[in-house]
Amino acid sequence: MKRNLYIGLVFSTLLIALGVASTMLEKRAAVEAAGVQAPHFEVDPMWPKPLPNHWLLGMTIGVSVDAQDHIWIIHRGGSLERMENYLAANPPASECCMAAPPVLEFDEEGNLIGHWGGPGQGYDWPVSNHGITVDYKGNVWIGGNGRGAAVAPPTQAAALNESQPGGGPFNDNMVLKFTQDGKFLMQIGHPGQSKGSNDLENLKGPAKMFVDKDANELYVADGYGNHRIIVFDADSGKYKRHWGAYGHKPDDISLGPYNPDAPPAPQFRNPVHCTELANDGLLYVCDRVNDRIQVFKKDGTFVKETIIAKRTLGDGSVWDIAFSKDPQQKYIFLADGSNEKVYIILRDTLEILTSFGDGGRQPGEFYAVHSIATDSKGNIFTTETYRGQRVQKFAYKGMAPVTKKDQGVVWPKKAS
Amino acid sequence: MKSPAFNFSSAACSKGARHLWIVIFIAALVALPHALLAHDIPNDVTVQAFVKPEGQKLHLLLRVPLNAMRDTEFPERGTGYLDLARVDASLREAAMVWIADAVEIYENEARLPNPQILDVRASFPSDKSFASYDAAYTHVTGPSLSNDVQVYWNQVMLDVLFEYPIHSDLSRFSIHPGLARLGLQVITALRFLPPDGAVRAFEFVGDPGLVRLDPQWYQAALNFVKLGFFHILDGTDHLLFLFCLVIPFRSLRKLIPVVTSFTVAHSITLIASAYNLAPDFLWFPPLIETLIAMSIVYMALENIVGGIGVQRRWMITFGFGLVHGFGFSFALRQTLQFAGSHLLTSLLSFNIGVELGQLLVLVLLIPLLHVFFRYAVAERMGTIILSALVAHTGWHWMLDRGARLAQFRFVWPALTAAMLASAMHWLMAMLIVAALMWYVAKRWPLKFPLGQASSRDPLKISTAQVHSVPQGLETETGGEI
Repeated sequence: MKRNLYIGLVFSTLLIALGVASTMLEKRAAVEAAGVQAPHFEVDPMWPKPLPNHWLLGMTIGVSVDAQDHIWIIHRGGSLERMENYLAANPPASECCMAAPPVLEFDEEGNLIGHWGGPGQGYDWPVSNHGITVDYKGNVWIGGNGRGAAVAPPTQAAALNESQPGGGPFNDNMVLKFTQDGKFLMQIGHPGQSKGSNDLENLKGPAKMFVDKDANELYVADGYGNHRIIVFDADSGKYKRHWGAYGHKPDDISLGPYNPDAPPAPQFRNPVHCTELANDGLLYVCDRVNDRIQVFKKDGTFVKETIIAKRTLGDGSVWDIAFSKDPQQKYIFLADGSNEKVYIILRDTLEILTSFGDGGRQPGEFYAVHSIATDSKGNIFTTETYRGQRVQKFAYKGMAPVTKKDQGVVWPKKAS
Repeated sequence: MKSPAFNFSSAACSKGARHLWIVIFIAALVALPHALLAHDIPNDVTVQAFVKPEGQKLHLLLRVPLNAMRDTEFPERGTGYLDLARVDASLREAAMVWIADAVEIYENEARLPNPQILDVRASFPSDKSFASYDAAYTHVTGPSLSNDVQVYWNQVMLDVLFEYPIHSDLSRFSIHPGLARLGLQVITALRFLPPDGAVRAFEFVGDPGLVRLDPQWYQAALNFVKLGFFHILDGTDHLLFLFCLVIPFRSLRKLIPVVTSFTVAHSITLIASAYNLAPDFLWFPPLIETLIAMSIVYMALENIVGGIGVQRRWMITFGFGLVHGFGFSFALRQTLQFAGSHLLTSLLSFNIGVELGQLLVLVLLIPLLHVFFRYAVAERMGTIILSALVAHTGWHWMLDRGARLAQFRFVWPALTAAMLASAMHWLMAMLIVAALMWYVAKRWPLKFPLGQASSRDPLKISTAQVHSVPQGLETETGGEI
């Protein structure tokens, strides 16, 4: 009887001690939560599901999420190695593998539900695909950054370098507009026709597009050869306006290599790699090699800029951006394919809150993270170029206090 | 009776004619999948819907992708853009054929008559007005897209507002949204807005049957009893676990402590999960599935080894019950929305359904095992054989599921105050459960043995009882006499 009493006492004491401790911890947790918070992500290693038909992805240089939360990517089948294309040889050299069609559509679960793309009647398919955008009407826009003539079909082309695809003058001086079924709708610009950064009819290696639904205007980050943002009517393709860095008239005078200690460059360096319009009408532009984001009004008036990872040389740090899906778009997610991470930036102040990712080939790591997009649930999708060649999903796990400047690989581990 | 094709193959008909029919038949078979593909059934379709009873009318407001409306001709212009000036009649026709005819709404138990279309329009896929009823209503009843807008016909959303006459907005409403035919996978996100201002959200895949938007407690209860009942009969892993439990104890009386302990345990985790207390890790479901497979392997091995473990089975069953409860919660996650305001009733009903299912399995298994051990194979050998078979299956599941789990590299979570507080809560819950178990085992030592060798030990009782058993038979616990 006495023993039972002791045991009962021990139980009660433990229970009370745990109760008191948890109450104190909860108070502390509330204080922690009131500090700086940022969206928290975990890589989803199960996304997407395996591709059918022994298909492989080459350099995956574009991602966009449509209104149904379908994830669209574009890649370069021509960047695969010879052995990766053995199945496409005639006769097939082995059971595996071959390039997937250039444009692939996935559902939220990661099932491949659509695919198309490649040369066809009535349009000039790029030598080297670059960037994909699904606009507010569901249309699919595609850019390109290939050089040289479009002689070889994409699957036969040599492995292309991201910054200097092919050799010779730029071929891909156009953007293409398709329906979601791959039906051709419109082309702006013509291959090999560019007359430089003030040519109103042709582009030069257009990297990424965005369509403003209020004005039905297409913004093009132009690009690999030009040094400008150019705006067209999204239905007629009619030229509207264009501008360079700081809203200046663009020119094509060589700026030489980027020097982090020199004053900020007066013009964009190549490539002008992204353009994204926020709900409040501010246009964000990736000046990749200059390591900076520049912000403009819709008419090209310069608003502000920020430098990211200033000492990054070579390919630069500002590759692509996406906004968080809250109506205020409070955060910018910036893909940095040189430092192999995604920064989470407060859009209002352009202050970096934290970053995640690291170099490598395992889930949650990056090799040349090139493009980034968000879905309506707040998840992030990234694609990788060079030998990265994949698409990854980072599941949104709610808001969490910022405890580290650099989170490293966000492996699935905890919910917030 | 012969088919016309066979009549053709009469003596008069040449072999060639018969071959022609075979060729046509094969050609038709080969062509069939392509013909089906030509209809272009969309892969996945998301339907957004609001149901709002108001006074003596009920509004059903829907958004459906236009490409899900097959066989309706929509006027086009240019390279396939929707001719918005002429589209109204087609949209109305599509809305009636594909939606109004497919959706059944009931007031109390009476089906409402066909609705009238108050408004219909085409929208951009990126339009966000269906985030709330008011915004969606304003959007649908507002001005249509201007005719100079170029929008490709099958990338448009169809928005439609139906009105049904009703007796009172306080009636109980049910809906059978037969929209599954719109695509290969149709997800319907439906929000019910009763007059009290609440918003009840539903999301279902395919055809969910009759959905009671505001169920009475007994309707919810019945629904969940059914769910629980069929879930246990459907779940091979739960059944195998149960089978392992039964092999050594083939009497309902002796199974009572074991089954009760299992039930209590899975109820705890099931209810905790329903109240969002379960961990939300991505690796948690694969971990639970692996543990369920392990529980089967463990039980089967314990049956083979026998001894003290079998007598303490109620305790280990409690632990595994906690694991299986999480497993049940994954199955229930999608269906809890149908509980209306009766969450706890529905959870308990689900448990009752699970128990009824288990009871049915036990009632069938016990006599079967008796017969098996009596006529087919001696009990000890039979126990070993059956358990080995189960262990084999469980082992493979364990490896498969373990491999999936192993893809998640485990990293210790950061020690935040919130995480520690949550861990403390779990420790408190475990302490309370442990105290209860200790108390139960103390209070009813016979039914819930702690496993100590005492004069009241069931091993000894069964050994004593076995004297009356004919020679050659062994104890029910599988131990040697």
